[in-house]
Amino acid sequence: MSTRHRSRRDVLAGLGAVVLAAPSVSAQTAPRVVVIGGGFGGATAAREVKRLLPNAEVVLVTDERTFTACPFSNLVLAGMRDISAQQFGYGGVEKAGVRIAFSAAKAVDARARSVTLGDGTRLAFDRLIASPGIDIRWDGLEGYNEAAAERMPHAWKAGDQTLLLRRQLEAMDDGGLVVMSVPANPFRCPPGPYERASLIAHYLKTRKPKSKLLVLDAKDAFSKQRLFQAAWKSIYPDHLEWVSLSTGGKVLSVDPATMTLITEFGRHTAAVANVIPPQKAATIATTAGIADATGWCPIDPATFESRLVANIHVLGDAAIAGAMPKSAFAANAQAKVCAAAVASLLSGAPAPEPKLVNTCYSLVAPEYGISVAGVYHPVGGVLAEVKGSGGTSRLDAAPDVRAAEALFAEGWFKTITHEVFG
Amino acid sequence: MPPLAGRSAADIVRLMAAFRGGTQPATVMDRIAKGFSEAETEAIAAWYAGQK
Ligand SMILES: Cc1cc2nc3c(=O)[nH]c(=O)nc-3n(C[C@H](O)[C@H](O)[C@H](O)COP(=O)(O)OP(=O)(O)OC[C@H]3O[C@@H](n4cnc5c(N)ncnc54)[C@H](O)[C@@H]3O)c2cc1C
Ligand code: HEM
Repeated sequence: MSTRHRSRRDVLAGLGAVVLAAPSVSAQTAPRVVVIGGGFGGATAAREVKRLLPNAEVVLVTDERTFTACPFSNLVLAGMRDISAQQFGYGGVEKAGVRIAFSAAKAVDARARSVTLGDGTRLAFDRLIASPGIDIRWDGLEGYNEAAAERMPHAWKAGDQTLLLRRQLEAMDDGGLVVMSVPANPFRCPPGPYERASLIAHYLKTRKPKSKLLVLDAKDAFSKQRLFQAAWKSIYPDHLEWVSLSTGGKVLSVDPATMTLITEFGRHTAAVANVIPPQKAATIATTAGIADATGWCPIDPATFESRLVANIHVLGDAAIAGAMPKSAFAANAQAKVCAAAVASLLSGAPAPEPKLVNTCYSLVAPEYGISVAGVYHPVGGVLAEVKGSGGTSRLDAAPDVRAAEALFAEGWFKTITHEVFG
Repeated sequence: MPPLAGRSAADIVRLMAAFRGGTQPATVMDRIAKGFSEAETEAIAAWYAGQK
């Protein structure tokens, strides 16, 4: 494509997504777009479709009146932030012209093009966008079920689980052992467990210095590993121990009654256990037939249309997005690309060639931020990283650079949540 | 950080080239700028310049 030529037309560039030549649309009849999931991906997509197609009827179906954001929820665990700073309503989305149905989508009829809600209401659509996030794979780890999660919280969906784990950490005696288990790929937020480990270690070091965190990992390698490990060695040498797959880190089963995590190499009894279990695309993805045998949703990387069911688009954590990680930043970027594609397709135009950005910040300690960034485009049917772009923060960066990244992380959260919910 | 909206396109293009070349100090923009071609940068810069 000739970007130079297209650049004279409407250019949409926002935080994270660049779609050259988004359409100027003049559809005859009001197109109907239904969006499932009012999180980072879905709320962005609903607003973007409405912005690009002002005459469209856009309905956002979401199951809770208040959204609790996961990014920065690790700070809540460490007592550095109040949960209310994570919570957002849908007033802003509504003001943008999107109708909200507070209900769970229960079924999708792809042939009839309708979504059935919990109360039996049916919503007809020309195009459906699904960004339902993740569900826990309750059959993925022996002994870990919904009752177990009340004793060994995952806190991988923010809200009550976050507060439960926070209370447990607060109530623990100084000297208690905290154990965290981390699953194999893929899962929501690849650097998230290690940011969490860092901030729990920070809490222990400053408030429960005789305690320690043991991280049992089903992997040998992880996101921003060298940066995290360098920081742990210098900041938390006595408070954080990471056990890799090859040194016996993989948790095979858990026993909530005795607070025990069992690995190939032994048993660990915890005072507080944070089990981050295996995950899959949220249940509605399976019901709708857009998830494959892996539990995740294959998509076309330029339009985010499902590879399995026509006229349904999937983005965010639920989608198989090639090299892009499952992050809120990525979900927001993908939503913009998807909305532009949906707007084009509804007006009979080809979808534009997208380029997407992701940046994942992690806080290792107060005023100590690190990041991994990437720029992505479709290559041979998958989202691939643009060669020569992206990478992590420098290993040898000075403290003022770490402090700057911690500030940029906070700035990013304010900007994105304002854009999505404000 | 000064907002990009409303800044001159030439300014943004110059800064992006400097990020790519490593002459403009950065935490992430060096890594992001390397993902965009000259033509794409010009298009984005023109878009930002048009925002008030
Ligand atoms: C501890 C932690 C830290 C993180 N930190 C970061 C970070 O620093 N930066 C970052 O970019 N990302 C971070 N993430 C990842 C980020 O939270 C997710 O990638 C992001 O939320 C994905 O957006 P989504 O739209 O796919 O799903 P979500 O944001 O989860 O939204 C899905 C929504 O759909 C709703 N829903 C599901 N099923 C239905 C249904 N059937 N009917 C109606 N509604 C439904 C859900 O209730 C939810 O509101 C973190 C995650 C965790 C767990
Ligand atoms: C989408 C993800 C993006 C993120 C997270 C991001 C983040 C940042 C950050 C943190 C800075 C400060 C410099 C640094 O520390 O690196 C910056 C500056 C800048 N960014 Fe970006 N940026 C993004 C995308 C873009 C894009 C697509 C452009 C294209 C034109 C752009 C143009 C600039 C410019 C020109 C500056 C310099 C501003 C100044 O110093 O006056 N950015 N950005």
